Amino acid sequence: MSLKNVFTDWSRYRKGIEEGGFHDYEHMWGMAVDLNKCIGCNACAVACYAENNLAVVGEEKFYKGQAMHWMRIERYWDEPDLGEDRVKEFNHHGANFIPMMCQNCNAATCEPVCPVAATYHTPDGLNAQVYNRCIGSRYCSNNCPYRLRFFNFYSYYESSWPEPLHMQLNPDLTVRDKGVMEKCTFCVQRIRAAKDKARREDRKVRDGEFLPACAQTCPTGAITFGDLLTLHTPGGGVGETKVAQMWRDHQVELGKTRQTKQNPELRGYRVFEGLNTDPCVMYLERVREV
Amino acid sequence: MQSKDINEDIRWAQINEDVLRSLENPRMGYWVAVGVCLALLALAIIAEIYQYRVGMGVGNLNWPHMWDLYIATFIFWIGMSHSGTLLSAILHITHADWRKPIYRFAEAMTTFTLMTAALFPVIHLGRLWNMYWVLPYFSDRGIWPNFRSPLVWDAFAIFTYLTTSALFLYIGSIPDLAICRDNARGWRKKLYTALSLGWRGDDRQWRNFRKTYLVMACFLIPLAVSVHSIVSSDFAMSIMPGWHVTTFPPYFVAGALYSGCAAIITLFILLRYFFRFEAYMTMPILDKTCKLTFAIAMVWTYLNLIEFASVWYGHDKVAKELLIAKFTGPYSPYFWAMLILGSVLPFTLAFEKLRTNIPVMFVVSILLNVGMWLERWMIVAPTLSLSYQPFAFDVMWANWVQWFIVIGSFGWFGLLFLIFVKVIPSVSMYEVKEMIFHRRHIANKDIAAVMHRRATDPKPAGGQPSGASGSTPGTPGLEGA
Amino acid sequence: MSNKVNRRDFLKIMGWSGVGATLAGCDLPTTVTLEEGKEEVVSYLMPEEFVIPGIGVWYASTCLQCPAGCGVHGRVREGRVLKLEGNPESPINRGRLCQMGQSGVQAHYNPDRITQPMLRKNGGLTPVSWHDALEVLAQRTGPGSGLTGERFAWFTDTISGHQAVLLDAHLKAMGSDNHYVHEVINNSVTRAVNRDMLGEEQPRLRFDKARVVLSFGADFLGTWQSPVHNATEYAKFRSPPRGVLVQVEPNMSLTGANADLWVPVRPGTEGLLALAIAKVLATKHRKPLDKLPAAVQELILGYDVNEVARITGASGDHIIKIAGWLSERSPSLVIAGATAEGHEQGYQIVAAIMLLNIILGNVGETIEPAGEFPFPQLTARTGGTRSLVDFAKALEEKRYDVVFFRGANPVYTAPKALGLAQKLEGVGFKVAFSMFQDETTALADLVLPMRSPAEDWGTHVPAYQGEDRVISVQQPLMEPLYTETRGFGDVMLSLLKMHKVAGYSDYEDYYAYLRDAFAAMPAVLKENHSDDSFWARALQKGVIPVPTTQGSLTVKTAAVEVPGDSGRGEYPYFLVPAARLGMWDGRHANIPWLQEAPDQITKVVWNSWAEMHPSTARKLGVKTGDAVRIASSQGTIEANVYVYKGIHPDVIAVPMGRGHEAYGRYAQGRGVNPLKILDPVTERKTGELALMATRVQVSRASNEKVMVKLGGSESQLGRKIVATVTADVFERTEGGA
Repeated sequence: MSLKNVFTDWSRYRKGIEEGGFHDYEHMWGMAVDLNKCIGCNACAVACYAENNLAVVGEEKFYKGQAMHWMRIERYWDEPDLGEDRVKEFNHHGANFIPMMCQNCNAATCEPVCPVAATYHTPDGLNAQVYNRCIGSRYCSNNCPYRLRFFNFYSYYESSWPEPLHMQLNPDLTVRDKGVMEKCTFCVQRIRAAKDKARREDRKVRDGEFLPACAQTCPTGAITFGDLLTLHTPGGGVGETKVAQMWRDHQVELGKTRQTKQNPELRGYRVFEGLNTDPCVMYLERVREV
Repeated sequence: MQSKDINEDIRWAQINEDVLRSLENPRMGYWVAVGVCLALLALAIIAEIYQYRVGMGVGNLNWPHMWDLYIATFIFWIGMSHSGTLLSAILHITHADWRKPIYRFAEAMTTFTLMTAALFPVIHLGRLWNMYWVLPYFSDRGIWPNFRSPLVWDAFAIFTYLTTSALFLYIGSIPDLAICRDNARGWRKKLYTALSLGWRGDDRQWRNFRKTYLVMACFLIPLAVSVHSIVSSDFAMSIMPGWHVTTFPPYFVAGALYSGCAAIITLFILLRYFFRFEAYMTMPILDKTCKLTFAIAMVWTYLNLIEFASVWYGHDKVAKELLIAKFTGPYSPYFWAMLILGSVLPFTLAFEKLRTNIPVMFVVSILLNVGMWLERWMIVAPTLSLSYQPFAFDVMWANWVQWFIVIGSFGWFGLLFLIFVKVIPSVSMYEVKEMIFHRRHIANKDIAAVMHRRATDPKPAGGQPSGASGSTPGTPGLEGA
Repeated sequence: MSNKVNRRDFLKIMGWSGVGATLAGCDLPTTVTLEEGKEEVVSYLMPEEFVIPGIGVWYASTCLQCPAGCGVHGRVREGRVLKLEGNPESPINRGRLCQMGQSGVQAHYNPDRITQPMLRKNGGLTPVSWHDALEVLAQRTGPGSGLTGERFAWFTDTISGHQAVLLDAHLKAMGSDNHYVHEVINNSVTRAVNRDMLGEEQPRLRFDKARVVLSFGADFLGTWQSPVHNATEYAKFRSPPRGVLVQVEPNMSLTGANADLWVPVRPGTEGLLALAIAKVLATKHRKPLDKLPAAVQELILGYDVNEVARITGASGDHIIKIAGWLSERSPSLVIAGATAEGHEQGYQIVAAIMLLNIILGNVGETIEPAGEFPFPQLTARTGGTRSLVDFAKALEEKRYDVVFFRGANPVYTAPKALGLAQKLEGVGFKVAFSMFQDETTALADLVLPMRSPAEDWGTHVPAYQGEDRVISVQQPLMEPLYTETRGFGDVMLSLLKMHKVAGYSDYEDYYAYLRDAFAAMPAVLKENHSDDSFWARALQKGVIPVPTTQGSLTVKTAAVEVPGDSGRGEYPYFLVPAARLGMWDGRHANIPWLQEAPDQITKVVWNSWAEMHPSTARKLGVKTGDAVRIASSQGTIEANVYVYKGIHPDVIAVPMGRGHEAYGRYAQGRGVNPLKILDPVTERKTGELALMATRVQVSRASNEKVMVKLGGSESQLGRKIVATVTADVFERTEGGA
């Protein structure tokens, strides 16, 4: 360790802090979830368990609230948007399902509070969680308004994957040990694989070349995933990804606490936008005939 | 009731004798107390070993209750640490000399409560063996802690505060340690010789000592205010309802001083009773401490009301719903208990009859601290239970693992304190002497003469006999008067 | 796998389209056993060219988690199958998969698999070798055993493709025609009605074309026919111009949870409601009834909407609203599912519902003929619960000496009243072809451990295919985990060899048989490919498209008679054994992912629950989480209550699938099985068990178990987590697109 290195590192670090993290994004992975199509069937959640080596904690620990559901389907019974009288008759319009996965906020509240910078923003626009660096202060989870960060309260290896279930484990990512925070990564291992492949073939990652496990399995195709960066290229249009197209169509923009839509009836919205977390997941409002 | 803070006729040799007696010959009760503390500590150690081996989930921590009793108790102990600073530093520079007989143990409390508090962030870490990653050590990989995180600020603040308050305690006890040295035999002699750093009580030493002490006091006051402000930013810097409150820093500092004062009353009564310090820890001093506590309690109540009002009249719907939930929801018994213990109970301190009644004050002071512990818990838990995402609502109660560790922390603190009272004089002998001197000669012209002589003649004729090294310099002939 | 094919040959045969099983993992002691001189190890240093360490390869196969037969792609890395995804080539699921399909790998890697044959000796099951097992089979069922065909029966779940061919051949060799096909989740009654009214059992339903879907208890997004296919169609149905979904059922299903209008009705009155809607259509909207017989017309016109509303529990406004939608928006689609079928008069109820399709002119529009499948020998042998009743009756009469079980678990699914477990004792020799030690397997005299679907060969032709018809190909995705397991086809061939059936004895194994069968397929399927190329293509794509002949639907209506409200008596509530995507009929209770996946509606995990309406709960003085005792005339179950408005006040719903007495560590002793306490009532016309016809009484029980569910708040508290817009707005903003 030379002193010069230390100062270089330090100045680089300072610069990063002052400028508020990365700006030269390579990608900005984002989603659009159409609640008009989501049927709440849970396929995405189980696909996530399969892809990301999520531990099955068992009934007792689930009761204690220690389950690992990176992707969960929330189910609400009331529809505040349809007015008071309809809330009373809520069941006549079915349930309100919403798949919640890490929103990969661009102004993520979990990032600044981590004492060891184990969660940070990548040049891909992802909110990354570095398991090796995490010391388990759990502040990030406390500061996540969506409550989408999950802690390894135990070591699950033995209990969750008895032989030969462990043979199913995805070797592209780790099995997290106790004391580490984890969350949805937009299937970062698939992103890495696609980027590596694109680099080998000397091209850019194509839209739809890969999908996160949830989007791939969704029976109704309610989840659209892709690079939002093309949204910000002037003109858009050519080369615009499907997801960027959807954001544009619904006049939802990144970096805003309140969307200034020309047509306020468009369905796009982000959950808790007012908290200025700037999530990369846009939801399209559920539609009901009344 | 006794009207004077201290009996001015008390002989200085008597002071030495009384205080040094408290260091010697522990009685049965002392060993029982040590035993109890060790037992409590053992509970915590058992729980911690279990938690360390199996995982953080054993204490019923869950999603979304990532923090619970550990962090609440951490704030509680940090808060209590403000007592010593208040009595020794703030009251020192404001020349409130009634503090003198009681500041030593309060200062010790500061150090020990910090030592207790500092354990909790470590205990609560999921991978505590990596806790040093919070510190900015040089690494070739250029990995730094995240300086934006309030938890890193915490680490800095606590370490700074702990070192400063420990130094402050130590420096302030040097003259007394010298007295101990002069009266001790065996291992104690060696210990005190080393600790008193060759204190002879000569004029140069006293002048340097005074300066150092004052500088430390001045340094400690902003530190005390900042440390709890920083702890409050653990919450205030977040965006969660009930945490994201701008008045949190003063609120936390007020709460800290409050619980610190209450703890002083508790220990005051205990020390007075067990070491028969009636001559030094007198009722007027208790009376003053109680008045001070009452004043701080009212400040705390006021800040509480401000918080409620700003939430109530603000437009943050979620925070408002959380506040209503605190009053009516699953945590309401504890929330109401906190309000009653923290804001209603202190009115007993407003009545002289009650505040000079030692048993009553003992109970009240403990209850005040129970209230303050509840306050910290009521900051941490309800926000985690009922925040933004309704689907993540959950109410969770801690189980024995968390409770054992919390209870054990009291054992740990008690143990430290019990060792302290037998090693370092818990009443500052030299300051009591000083106080008596000042009180006795407050209207006496002699004092002007003495002061004048001190000012003009830096080296008074004749060295101090070693036995009187703790006495105020430049006052020969007053011994035993 | 026969001994003569060594591992390397095996891999060569499979070629690039086969499975990449290079025994890479030295950490798989259970699989690494070498037969001296017969097998060789292929080391990592000289793998097949398609195996690159660290790179996953995808192989097409078929999902067997439910009878829908979705195509899957299995991700294989270093010889292990890691993940299943939908096969985009399959017209059934178009690259999508449900949660049960996703968890196929956990069925494959399940720690409770049976690893070797077991024979009952002195009361207990003891491990034996395959050789001995087959010898015992030959003794008891072989040519010299003296067993006659009528004393023998097969009891299976849905079976299709070449496995069905082999099974038929075996039945023929035995001289038997006793084949019971059992599925708890079925649509047998609707199939019977379709056959009688439309001339086709499983016409193709066009959700994508429909503007209104009126479903009477058909949980088509969850458990009905082909859930993933239906869901893909549903997405089209909901795209602009957006269709309206109305669900009529006693308790909320996944489909009901997605409905625009969800109408709770008293079970058994669905037919009445359908007729009332028909009446409104005829009177208010002037829909001609002339296609219907005069008696039916009279019947329809005789109903009074308010009277029907009173009986069914649906509001009159809703009936008028539904009729309005049906008449305004065309075409529509009216379907019936389990809760409409499962009554004594189930056939009549479904027929009444189907009348709506005729009145609305949907036949030919949204209900299309599926056409004739050119290979009837491959089509699915499917069934329902009638097989249970018939089987129980046959056992009562002690008609069988030997029964072979495969797939189905009748001991678990049969109501206690049928007394199946006791009656099975009268069968001298019970053979279970099984992967798991389930309740039926536990009673078997001989247990033959099957390979998992991820280790076995096969072809499948699902009973319902919503789009182009295909034969789905199932190929092994990896080497068998346990060497002592055998593929179903392999065992069937051994049985046929035992009987020396001509044409089957030449095959070494099922693989060879399939190769031959594929080579023998008609040219129209092969599309000018050589045999090898056709085989490789089939494996690569996972499906073989099968052109069907153009069919046509004939409309024929008979008189319908619809039951009214029956009395309440001693048992005031209806018990609905609710089918859910997840546990299904109980076959997935041993899959930890599915146990931990919250139920879609109640969000309960790992256990059973009882759904109850708030007014009922108030009457009983219980709240969510409290335990209740549910007693029918046949028995009692206890479960924790989930109170919500998504259920008719007269109904108590308990999900199927849990309450196993065996079936491994994840299933055993968890929850209750509502099927156990059903009254043995059968549907009058088809003989199916009337699953919804059981009456129960409910009382409080002591809370011994807590209810574990996800989710703290059932309400959004006005925080706009899920926002909703009305369809008008949607039409305005996106309708033009």
